[in-house]
Amino acid sequence: MDGGRIHRFHVARDVEEALSLLSAYGGKGALLAGGVDLLRGPLARVEGLIDITRMGLSSVAEARGGVTVGATSTLTQILESPAARRYVRGILVEVMRAVAVPPLRNMATLGGALVSAHPWADLPTALVALGAEARWRGEKEGKAPVEDLYRGEFRKTFRTAVLIEVSLPPWDGAFAYEKVGRTRYDIALVNACCGLGIEDGTIRWARVAVGARPDRGERLPEIEAALVGREPGEKLWTEIQELVEARVEVGDDRRAGRAWRRKTAGVLVRRALIRAARGAAA
Amino acid sequence: MKLSFELNGVAQYLEADPGERLLSLLRRIGMKSVKEGCDTGDCGACTILIDGRAVRSCLMVAPQVQGKRVTTLEGLGTVDDPHPLQRAFLEAGAVQCGFCTPGMVVIAYELLSRNDDPTPDEVREAIAGNLCRCTGYVKIVDAVLLAARWKREGRWR
Repeated sequence: MDGGRIHRFHVARDVEEALSLLSAYGGKGALLAGGVDLLRGPLARVEGLIDITRMGLSSVAEARGGVTVGATSTLTQILESPAARRYVRGILVEVMRAVAVPPLRNMATLGGALVSAHPWADLPTALVALGAEARWRGEKEGKAPVEDLYRGEFRKTFRTAVLIEVSLPPWDGAFAYEKVGRTRYDIALVNACCGLGIEDGTIRWARVAVGARPDRGERLPEIEAALVGREPGEKLWTEIQELVEARVEVGDDRRAGRAWRRKTAGVLVRRALIRAARGAAA
Repeated sequence: MKLSFELNGVAQYLEADPGERLLSLLRRIGMKSVKEGCDTGDCGACTILIDGRAVRSCLMVAPQVQGKRVTTLEGLGTVDDPHPLQRAFLEAGAVQCGFCTPGMVVIAYELLSRNDDPTPDEVREAIAGNLCRCTGYVKIVDAVLLAARWKREGRWR
């Protein structure tokens, strides 16, 4: 890290102050939460840092049957919060434990992960699968499903806005998260988050998202539709695995090739579905 | 800018540039246990505790610790009066070149402050982000488990 050009450090007391500072810097100010992305790279244009971790946005609470997470909550706070642990059979604990290593989880915030939105990251895939909704404040208040944000110009939005919180809706069923990296703690080469609701031996709803394709996590609606109304079991898992292999949009990058990603995406979706089905039936 | 925070139990009032890395500041004031390895948060050699939680001081600027409680290895033990974790590292032979050791001890301290009966896998998860290029990790895991046993037996100060 080279903070050579930074000449001011501000601690924003509330969202209004953060927004007015951000606007005063006109592109040369940066919001600082966990810092694991911002302070990792060169800070070529940044002259002022605006610390947003002391504005009271670090809470995790049950809300409307789901859970609402303040933007500056660290991944560790989420992991250790009773509300998050109870949410959909502990899926948030499973996802958070798949992200990096404990000291980085002590620093990284959910808001930072959502806004940085690295294509290989674990959290975007999980947030999209879980139907997360983001609330922010810029010139106006904004609210949108994370999935829709990622399809639009979210980077532009967050240049002049502060993310407030992320809400996760209740699900009557279970989710599972799978990833493959070069090591257990490395970034994903492919990741997948799947959820199932099962009633009377039949799948009532399904959520399937695949990320690090190498593009960011996206749902596969065609796969979800192919699961609904079916009976969970080996025959279905094999059929779905083949369908994922046929339909998932994957590409090459320096970390992995397209053919390998295609195969691996099928395997990860299969594994996640098997575990989700077990959880949903329990 | 003026900065005040607690370092190893002692109040500090000092000047820092707003963009000064916390790692650099700590070394500047004598905390040489805090090592610069990768400078990107990957190696864990600069691990310290802030309000009892392990963080990477290379990925922080100094002003972030305003009003907080900072602990480095110097605050855990000294040469004359080593911390039980440090004694366990010696006894298990968990030290070779020593560059990673401060970060390892600090990360183990955080783990044992929350869980004094960790499984070997829990120890491995805790230290997974702290790289050691000498030991092969086996003796480091042994050392942390030994220190945990001592803690359960009431042999920590």
